[in-house]
Amino acid sequence: MKALSSRRELLLRLGTGAGVAALTGQAVASLRSLVPNVSYDAPTTVKLGPTAEFPDGLKFLPEQRLFVFREGKTFHAISAVCTHLGCTVRAEALARPEEKAVEGGTLRLTHRFLCPCHGSEYSGDGGNVAGPAPRPLTWYRLSVSPDDEQLVVDLADPVEPADPEGRLNLA
Amino acid sequence: MAEPDLRTPSAPPTAPGVHPKPFWSFRPRSDRESGDAVVSNFMLHWFPAKVSKASLDWSYSFWLGTASAALLLLLVLSGMPLLFLYVPSVERAYASVKDIEYVVTFGSWIRAVHRLSAHLMVVAVVLHLVRVFLTGAYKNGVGRGQRRPVNWVLGVAMLLLTLFLSFTGYLLPWDQLAYWAVTVGTNIASSIPWVGNTIRELLLGGREIDQPTLIRFYVLHVIALPGLLGILFVYHMWRVRKDGGLARADREGVLEQKAEAPPGPTKTYTLLGVARGQAPAIRASSLEARDTTVNAVPDLVRRAAIVVLGTIAVVGILSVFFRAPLEEPANALVTPNPAKAPWYFLWLQEIVTDTTVHIGSFTINGAFLGGVLLPGLLLTVLTLWPWWDKSPAAAAGVWLGQSRRRQNLVFLAVCVVILVFTFIGTFLRGPYWHFYWPWEAWPEIPGRI
Repeated sequence: MKALSSRRELLLRLGTGAGVAALTGQAVASLRSLVPNVSYDAPTTVKLGPTAEFPDGLKFLPEQRLFVFREGKTFHAISAVCTHLGCTVRAEALARPEEKAVEGGTLRLTHRFLCPCHGSEYSGDGGNVAGPAPRPLTWYRLSVSPDDEQLVVDLADPVEPADPEGRLNLA
Repeated sequence: MAEPDLRTPSAPPTAPGVHPKPFWSFRPRSDRESGDAVVSNFMLHWFPAKVSKASLDWSYSFWLGTASAALLLLLVLSGMPLLFLYVPSVERAYASVKDIEYVVTFGSWIRAVHRLSAHLMVVAVVLHLVRVFLTGAYKNGVGRGQRRPVNWVLGVAMLLLTLFLSFTGYLLPWDQLAYWAVTVGTNIASSIPWVGNTIRELLLGGREIDQPTLIRFYVLHVIALPGLLGILFVYHMWRVRKDGGLARADREGVLEQKAEAPPGPTKTYTLLGVARGQAPAIRASSLEARDTTVNAVPDLVRRAAIVVLGTIAVVGILSVFFRAPLEEPANALVTPNPAKAPWYFLWLQEIVTDTTVHIGSFTINGAFLGGVLLPGLLLTVLTLWPWWDKSPAAAAGVWLGQSRRRQNLVFLAVCVVILVFTFIGTFLRGPYWHFYWPWEAWPEIPGRI
């Protein structure tokens, strides 16, 4: 480092440094205030209603952007949020439902899902089959609330597609 | 002692620096009065007293920069009443815009002026950039100390600001277009590795699109972005002046110099000649020459006024006939089908659709590749171009100059690609973003689910 040539230069540098530090501190404080400390977002664990209210097949829950499927006593939930850029996909009933063998049974695929924003396409189990979607639709863990027997989804708890854990069996 | 009458020509001159009249003259009777108008007017001060005739040519610049500035002025002016009428709250934003559109006297016209100016400003700014590129006007000419590339970078930044202003602007009505544009726009930001989610949360003011989101985009739209654009605009204009005017002007200096005093190879380029500022600098004499220059007042001012007033007239009249649209209120439950961005972003929407890449089990999201990397790369190349352009200084200020032929072709090719993508996005994409020829009918899609 170059030696300071005079007391005046030292003071000038100290003064400039103090000014810059003060301004930076105030700028950081102002910007930090814009990062929220408390989240007022909706809770991620949501009661979806009594299990009896879910028909066999598919029910779309717009508030949660969620498809809930029922096959007899087995339930599973797939997110309707496109994995590309977050638009809500739409379900389209298949003319001929398909069966897909998965771990611990078969999955009845009654629909496919299409995204209106950039044309992504998903199969009935949420697999990304065409368009720009980089990943399959997210599956969420379902459970039944012990107090009033309602179906409960945890939107913060994704599971692997077609994972047996992602399917709720009431038997 | 009687006070001297300042108005009679015979009166002695007033104290130095004192301007005796309440205004200045746009109809000067002498060169001195013309120069005086520039000096005494705060607004005209950014003009030189004399400007080159050629740089005022309609067919050289098409006055696109002036038109952009006029549109910015219109946007600020039409934004003022809207500031009083619009309420930045998710509950009331849509209703307040609906009131502006259907209840407020002249409200729909004011909103149409604001929207139309915004669209035309995107057009004007882009065309201005195209003009500057094709004339090589970002190049330093022969004047010493010129920094035209800096002004080019400022211009690119201002184009970006214009686009961000448009984006934040069409979010404010909080209709379907707004809601899904925020969804897609902030998800593009979140596709950036590592920092993406933080950026998205900072933009949204939370994890979901809600009141904090609207207020953030509102403040950006009415304070932060226009303020920044205003500062850059002033700096941009100042730099035009400090770079010796339009590139066309100092080209004239070169020619003039060549014609008048062909340099003797042994004399002109001596160290002394350079030190005296004779050789590479523009000669003051060529700028002062009567046949190549005119007084800024009134010649430059008159033309600028024609462009500004013309722009205002065109927008004002068109706004009577074209009303600004308003979609259904924002509905987080239903994405419109198809959900299309405004026309100037449709090329990007088309690109993010086509750029998801699967390599084995590895996937790059089109949101990142097409939404961040590609536009970022394009922007970087655009910004740095002046430093890569090695054509001679004489190519500055010439339309489609021979020495810049190849780079002009590359630039035009990129423009054409963007236009083609825009066309596809606008006319050839239907429900579920599927491809339809214009003569094909779109299938009936049930409204919900």
